[in-house]
Amino acid sequence: MTASRQTAMVICPGRGVYNASELGYFHRHHTDRLDLLEGFDSQRTQKGQTSLAGLDSADRFVLSKFTRGDNASGLIYACSYADFLSIDQSKYDIVAVTGNSMGWYTALACGGALSGDAGFEVVNTMGTIMQEDLIGGQLIYPFVDEDWQEVPGHKQKLLDLVSDIADLHVSIHLGGMLVLAGLEPALKSAEDRLPQLQDRYPMRLANHAAFHTPLLSGNASRGRAALPSSLFTQPNIPMIDGRGHIWLPKASDLEALWSYTLGAQVTETYDFTRAVTSGLHEFAPEVLIILGPGTTLGGATAQAMIAADWQELTSKANFIARQKTDPIILSMGMEDQRARTLA
Amino acid sequence: MSAPTDRAEIVHQNFRQRLNAGKLPDAVSKISLAHSGLKETELVDLFYAQLISRHLDRTSRKLQARGESFYTIGSSGHEGNAAVAWATRPDDMAFLHYRDGAFQVARSRQVPGGTPVRDMLLSFTASSDDPISGGRHKVLGSKKLFIPPQTSTIASHLPKAVGTAYSIGLTRRIKPWAQSLADDSIVLCSFGDASFNHSTSQGAINTASWAGYQNSPMPVLFVCEDNGIGISVKTPAGWVEAAVRARPALQYFRCNGLDLIETYATARAAAEYVRRTQKPAFLHLGCVRLYGHAGADAQSAYLSTHEIEACEAKDPLLFSAARLIEEGIMTTEDILSAYDRVAAQIERVAEHAIKRPRLKTAEQVIDSLVPPKREVPAANPVSKSRRETTLGKADTRAAGQPQHMAKLINLALTDLMLEHDEIILAGEDVGKKGGVYGVTQRLQERFGQHRVIDTLLDEQSILGLGIGLAHNGFLPIPEIQFLAYLHNAIDQLRAEAASLSFFSNGQYTNPMVIRIAGLGYQRGFGGHFHNENTVAALRDIPGVILACPSNGRDAVLMLRECARLAREEQRVVIFLEPIALYMIRDLHEKGDGGWMFDYPAPGSNDTISAGEVGVHGEGSDIAIVTFGNGTYLSRQAQKILSDEHKIQSRVVDLRWLSPVPKEAVLEATKTCERILIVDECREQGSHSEALMALFAEQTEKSISRLMAKDCYIATGPAYGATMPDRDDIVRGALTLLEKRKTA
Repeated sequence: MTASRQTAMVICPGRGVYNASELGYFHRHHTDRLDLLEGFDSQRTQKGQTSLAGLDSADRFVLSKFTRGDNASGLIYACSYADFLSIDQSKYDIVAVTGNSMGWYTALACGGALSGDAGFEVVNTMGTIMQEDLIGGQLIYPFVDEDWQEVPGHKQKLLDLVSDIADLHVSIHLGGMLVLAGLEPALKSAEDRLPQLQDRYPMRLANHAAFHTPLLSGNASRGRAALPSSLFTQPNIPMIDGRGHIWLPKASDLEALWSYTLGAQVTETYDFTRAVTSGLHEFAPEVLIILGPGTTLGGATAQAMIAADWQELTSKANFIARQKTDPIILSMGMEDQRARTLA
Repeated sequence: MSAPTDRAEIVHQNFRQRLNAGKLPDAVSKISLAHSGLKETELVDLFYAQLISRHLDRTSRKLQARGESFYTIGSSGHEGNAAVAWATRPDDMAFLHYRDGAFQVARSRQVPGGTPVRDMLLSFTASSDDPISGGRHKVLGSKKLFIPPQTSTIASHLPKAVGTAYSIGLTRRIKPWAQSLADDSIVLCSFGDASFNHSTSQGAINTASWAGYQNSPMPVLFVCEDNGIGISVKTPAGWVEAAVRARPALQYFRCNGLDLIETYATARAAAEYVRRTQKPAFLHLGCVRLYGHAGADAQSAYLSTHEIEACEAKDPLLFSAARLIEEGIMTTEDILSAYDRVAAQIERVAEHAIKRPRLKTAEQVIDSLVPPKREVPAANPVSKSRRETTLGKADTRAAGQPQHMAKLINLALTDLMLEHDEIILAGEDVGKKGGVYGVTQRLQERFGQHRVIDTLLDEQSILGLGIGLAHNGFLPIPEIQFLAYLHNAIDQLRAEAASLSFFSNGQYTNPMVIRIAGLGYQRGFGGHFHNENTVAALRDIPGVILACPSNGRDAVLMLRECARLAREEQRVVIFLEPIALYMIRDLHEKGDGGWMFDYPAPGSNDTISAGEVGVHGEGSDIAIVTFGNGTYLSRQAQKILSDEHKIQSRVVDLRWLSPVPKEAVLEATKTCERILIVDECREQGSHSEALMALFAEQTEKSISRLMAKDCYIATGPAYGATMPDRDDIVRGALTLLEKRKTA
């Protein structure tokens, strides 16, 4: 342990973070962990699925292929989990771990509640079930402006929209954005009614199902049938779930953890903002380490920190300035910040 | 390095040293984990709650030394109460002892998303971010966790716990629209062995027992955390048990609070008993007090070193550690690692908490004194036939003819209860007898025993019932039979009901209208105890509205406004009824019927708003500012002044005694240069003092006052001797006018 060891909360990203620029991420950063990938791929081979090694080594990124639930989930998990294993724990004392959406499964593995292989089994199974059933979809829409300041009334308008449109649900509280989910007519109706913003929003998320809504209760049932609670073990790091609840080492009821993970976590709103806030408020980590691949969760995390009035962060500009001098978020998908996390 | 002298540090070092040395205490309980119903993981969770509570105490003391924390009365030694939390449901309302930090932490672990470390540190450091009091006080409490905040130091929270328990049974018959507690919930209240002796707790326990004895639902669990000492005074060995066991219909449970497993098993049995039988139970939890009473308390002044060390040797954390090791759940290393990591965690969070904003201005502090207004459902539509059936023929007829105040209040209460199912009347003799002055006659017949409750003779319990009913969405109208009887119970109003919104930052409220019959002038009846003529103890309570009608019409309209203030604005309102005016029919001469009034129909445009004063007459020679009986007497004097002295006056009836409607009084008297204040209350602390100050500060008018002597009321012929009468008012006015002329 070094004298300057910092406390850190680890954040595991969800779907949609492995894009064209992430192609080759695992092989670029984790040549020393190819055995890990082989282990995961052996599970996929048994199911007749494309190997992750092959996907990560592909010449080009094919959206339709890489964003399928049965491919993206495993690929992201493998990269994230390998990133977690790469963190230099003599420099960082990991006091808590959390994740966004699918990142909860990764968090379970990082926290020790699932072994690396069991975590992969959970992720890959749930991603595959999602792809097979492919129920509904998700769109994302901000309620903050481009400087991450909350626009008064915007969040409420979005919530009112959800109340108004049948089968539209809040899927994720994602910092300054809401992810809405529902069946196609509901999403279409929402898109028709939401004004265009910043040339991007409302943004439909390709190949995403209506995660974290009652529409996925069938997925949850299939998950529970396929994945026994015996996969779960006591965590060794506090884990913060999508309700902001903290699962403590040796104090976690594994049946309850299994039930939440493959139950309410799938069918009820995932509150990433609350998870980050709980982590900050209860553990006061000095830094937040966001695992790769990708960098897109950094914005939502920073927005959650601003909403929590954390360490005088008040705006995007102020956050960026802070990042330049004394980064409070270390995003392993960004080379310079990644370097700080490694030995 | 010299040995530490700070007891908190000594206890801290003892824990680590004894763990490392394997010198853990012998088991104090034979109940095994397997038989307790507690899972291994739950035991660890409770141990974490204990660790968090312990390190919160330690950190708070350190922060106080830095001037960053403002309260060090801790929970150390009482951490076994974490298991009591675990044995109850998070929606079982809990009125907590101030040493129940571990209870709150454990309960917060039962509800996803809780952040007890941050929340409690914000409270200790008096940050305006403190989620319960907004930085106003270090109180345990949480809206989400059904823990209302209160001042638990003298057991004044027990009567309302009993009242809340009663409300749960009542909701099975009547569903108030604002019901907050589940029908199958229970109420828990905890207190120490010293405050157990307080008359308030004895009264509350007696009331629960009284109710249970006659099979009224009373799902309350009293938890006495017995550490054997109250600041410096030791509790006699065996006292609590001996004093409680004899109580009828109160089940006694005992456990060693040093042992989490035994505490959980016993608390669960007690909670199950209360939930199943709906009868009260008493859980006697043995524990120890570490580090003295509070930060500044040097226990060496009254305890020997041997006694202090004996207590410290019973640190409940050591017993928990022993259990965890014995059950093979955690190793010594695991426990020390958890202990140290929690300590570090809390110190980190504390450094953030101390940077959070604190209250600075009076406006910020006052902000939550008045509860927030709320949306309410419309009143029940009441058909003519339903109303007439309810009133009966005689009262339907009475409602169409002028009546005295007592009858008019009765009619108003009837209509209010027809319109709002959540209204509950309660008090001594209000039911079958219909009140000692008949004001509540036939209301029990009309609305049943559940809405018009004959209580036992205990004003603390009556107000506690009111507070408790209000906690569960009812709109209580408790009655204090005589103003003089209020004083033994006034802490329920001053420290509890009135402060609830303030201490909870407006999150908890207990709206109610407390009817009190009072003031003097009953002809020859009762003496002091039935003619109390001071409201000093009521008029200085922040946030409380005090109304006092002088006639039947005003009484009806003001009572409706009081009910509206409670219902819509969640205010605590006192409706002070001048007893001597209840049956008065005439004003100037026998048979003139001048003090009988038509009953203003419900829903009529005739209203009196809070702060609206009454003005009788338009004369500007002099204004007589008064209230209650003073208004009645001044109206008589007004006629004499006009008829016999050609003096044209106006009588300004305050109606609303607190807060004093200053602007309205100044407006009503602005054309009068001479002001006579007539106050039937005793001089010291009377309204006349406030009114004199108001006119002196705000005007150049000539002012004079008449008020009662600082003396009790006599019975018999001298009943009115100490208070102003009609002729005093006439003379007072003439004197003031004469002075003015001379000047």
